[in-house]
Amino acid sequence: MLEYSEPVVKLIDEFKRLPGIGQKTAQRLAFHILRMTNVEVERFVAAMQDVKLKIVMCSVCNNLTDVEPCRFCSSTSRDRSIICVIEEPYNLVAVEKTRSYHGLYHVLHGSLSPIRGMGPEDLRLQNLLPRLRPENNDGVEVLEVILATNPTTEGEATASYISRLLKPLGPRVTRIAMGMPVGSDLEYVDEVTMDKALTNRHEM
Amino acid sequence: MLLESLEAHQFRNLSGKISWGKGLNIIYGDNGQGKTNWLEAIYLLATTKSFRTPRLQEAIRFGEDLAVVRGQVSRSRDVQRDLQVTIQGNAKALSVNGKREAVMRYLSQLHTVAFTADELEVIRGGPEARRKFLDRGGISLHHSYVQTLSDYHRVIKQKNQLLHDVSDAEMSIAAARILIEPWNEQLVGLSAIIHRARADYVERLRQALETRLFGREEISIRYVSSLEGKGDLRDYEALIAERLQLRLQAEIASSRALIGPHRDDLEILFDGHDIRTFGSSGQQRSALILLDLAAISVYYLWHGEYPLFLMDDVDAELDRRRIGHLLEYLEGRTQTFVTTSKESLVKQFAARAIVYEVRDGEIVQRATSETDLITTIATGTSII
Ligand SMILES: [Zn+2]
Repeated sequence: MLEYSEPVVKLIDEFKRLPGIGQKTAQRLAFHILRMTNVEVERFVAAMQDVKLKIVMCSVCNNLTDVEPCRFCSSTSRDRSIICVIEEPYNLVAVEKTRSYHGLYHVLHGSLSPIRGMGPEDLRLQNLLPRLRPENNDGVEVLEVILATNPTTEGEATASYISRLLKPLGPRVTRIAMGMPVGSDLEYVDEVTMDKALTNRHEM
Repeated sequence: MLLESLEAHQFRNLSGKISWGKGLNIIYGDNGQGKTNWLEAIYLLATTKSFRTPRLQEAIRFGEDLAVVRGQVSRSRDVQRDLQVTIQGNAKALSVNGKREAVMRYLSQLHTVAFTADELEVIRGGPEARRKFLDRGGISLHHSYVQTLSDYHRVIKQKNQLLHDVSDAEMSIAAARILIEPWNEQLVGLSAIIHRARADYVERLRQALETRLFGREEISIRYVSSLEGKGDLRDYEALIAERLQLRLQAEIASSRALIGPHRDDLEILFDGHDIRTFGSSGQQRSALILLDLAAISVYYLWHGEYPLFLMDDVDAELDRRRIGHLLEYLEGRTQTFVTTSKESLVKQFAARAIVYEVRDGEIVQRATSETDLITTIATGTSII
């Protein structure tokens, strides 16, 4: 027999699919929704649907955006000769917070991890190489690619893999300096640490 | 360092707070009364782990959802710290003076060397137990070594999976190489750190070994790298990089990482013979004690203070002569905690110890003639 009635169980199961949510939290969230007013629930559902309808992946850099190409790729004030490669769209926020980086981005949407079934073909890499040619970059030559993947073993492997791919093509390939706690996620790195990591980047 | 007091809530059948003596603490009680639980709580406070189970949630009292072990540690007259380990489900939270702390920093607060039945695996078991012994030592000197080990094991796990996938897909060597090299590149650096940390630790142990504490037999140890005989170990990075290149095909064929310090061992000889096969059970215990004492000395020489020494069921592990030698050696050095179920042993050492009696999970300090004691009673409710 089910612990709760079927609709409640279904909602709990949906919450449990979300990252970092276990049985207890899922139950709490489900019962919170039961206590919400209809208007609140509709607003919540609409927000989720909106995000799916209006947010697309930028065809140039894979960043999540509501305009295509994204604001970074279409900006006339960004330095187009430098590309910063990051794992997730939210890593972009950490780099932007430093206010010292003015180049473009490339979002991989993941990192190499055989145990999670993530190989190179599962990363958004196919559209990185064409970007290095001036004709695909408003006539500007890409001089440097900064690999700002997480300082985890997976992030390191990803940086190493990409640097081997890019080096024969000419641009300077650098890796952000590991002044930051090893094994950490850039999501939790403050802007001072991130700024130092960017400034002290080294050749790969 | 000194563990002044220990407090436990909902940790197995323990509850309440107990103050410890500066020297030898004997925890006495019949089997099943819970005396080892107190030792386990001390071990947990120091290492954030249990020597009895890899699943810490088993130590939470039945029907409760969290357990807390808290201790007051003094490093000098002025430096006192409150350490706390909270176990909740399969997660644990560590704090120092009430502030959350990452494991790397936490581990530098309190160090123990523990002799338990499980630790005999170091002598009797496979190489993994000996590598762990060396790694505990490495961590006791450099706490950042925890991260190196964790990264190394993560890379090996990833590489094993990748080797398996590559082998399954019947990929060409060239294509496989492109996928595997980013992981091998990290293995080179991490392996070199591990190799050096272990070799260095073994050298320190060798110099600290009191080889003849228990008798005439000589114990000797040597770190045996799995790359021994394959080239110049002094240039470890170059050697392992070369081996990784050469053995790639073999690694793919076996779907396992074959090269690296996860294949190394510690050789322990007793009078020139492999103790694992040739040592008597008494000799094996002596050898482990000698290694533990060497670990204590190495820690002292590095940090300028002694770690705690824990020994579970001391009379089951050693004969009276060896216990006597051991406790004499430790006197004036470590704060020592031993458990026993033998009244006669308690009587033999009562004059130089503080004795605690455990009955139904309740621990009571026995009245003695010692003067500087505060009588503390901690009550526990038994669930067994
Ligand atoms: Zn874009």
